[in-house]
Amino acid sequence: MKDLLRLRTSLTEEIEALLNEQIKIEAYSSAVYLAMSSWCNRNGYDNSASYLEKQSYEEREHMMKIFRFVNDMGGRAVSPEITNIPQEFESFRGVFELALQQEIHVSSKINNIADRCFKAKDYMTFQFIQWFLKEQIEEEYVARRILELFDVIGEEGTGRWQIDKNIPKVTYGEEAGEE
Amino acid sequence: MQGKKNCQLVEVFKTEQGIVYQCNRQNMFCLEFSGVSSFFKITDFLDFIKKVNKIDIEAMASSTSPGSDIAILMPHYTERCFVLTMTDVLKLRELLSGAKFMLQLNSMIFQCLSNPVS
Repeated sequence: MKDLLRLRTSLTEEIEALLNEQIKIEAYSSAVYLAMSSWCNRNGYDNSASYLEKQSYEEREHMMKIFRFVNDMGGRAVSPEITNIPQEFESFRGVFELALQQEIHVSSKINNIADRCFKAKDYMTFQFIQWFLKEQIEEEYVARRILELFDVIGEEGTGRWQIDKNIPKVTYGEEAGEE
Repeated sequence: MQGKKNCQLVEVFKTEQGIVYQCNRQNMFCLEFSGVSSFFKITDFLDFIKKVNKIDIEAMASSTSPGSDIAILMPHYTERCFVLTMTDVLKLRELLSGAKFMLQLNSMIFQCLSNPVS
């Protein structure tokens, strides 16, 4: 009997489901960053608004990268339904605390996919997901460094203005070293 | 519309209520259930299994509203409308899950044969 399942795709049902879940997570991240950008814009943090808008775009690119991969492998990429996006945030600092939490959540999910790929001996997806593992090092680093600005500069007086000014300058070590 | 004429059918799984065949010529699946045949492409067949598994049997059993004991599935990829009683759902699930298991087993056997342990 022909192996029709393998003819369709090399992705197992489990890995395909995990990748579709990740598509949704990336789409959610993109939407949350956009909401954060809008909040920063409304509250006068122009640089942060631009930075977060750029982040939102990046998250969408991540989503599309996985989306295309699933389809390229013969799977069924699902366009995600995104709901419950917070539009209001506690404070300027709260925005970036949430951003870090979101990145940690994404890292944990990507780690899980890598783990499942290894167990399922799906080395093609494992190789694909390695790009995301590397990307998460940068994402978490930048989110942490930004949050540290709040402690280093302090929020009193013109502190928030200074923080807002410095946020777009935060880059990951390797990237910064190249400049 | 697919017919059995140009098919090279191989039985995948059979129960008292129906049979799932695989057509090696057209790379399709044929589901015979309640005396009617339906053809599915590979992805559609897997999607159909998911749809059947998603039917909430408990809700069907507990609801007293008229018609709640019937589940209707009209997948866009077949011309057939599946009108299923609770018993039908259970019987169809048994058939489809058996077929899915056999397909996965077949995949595993292919994998083992292509990577023999020395």
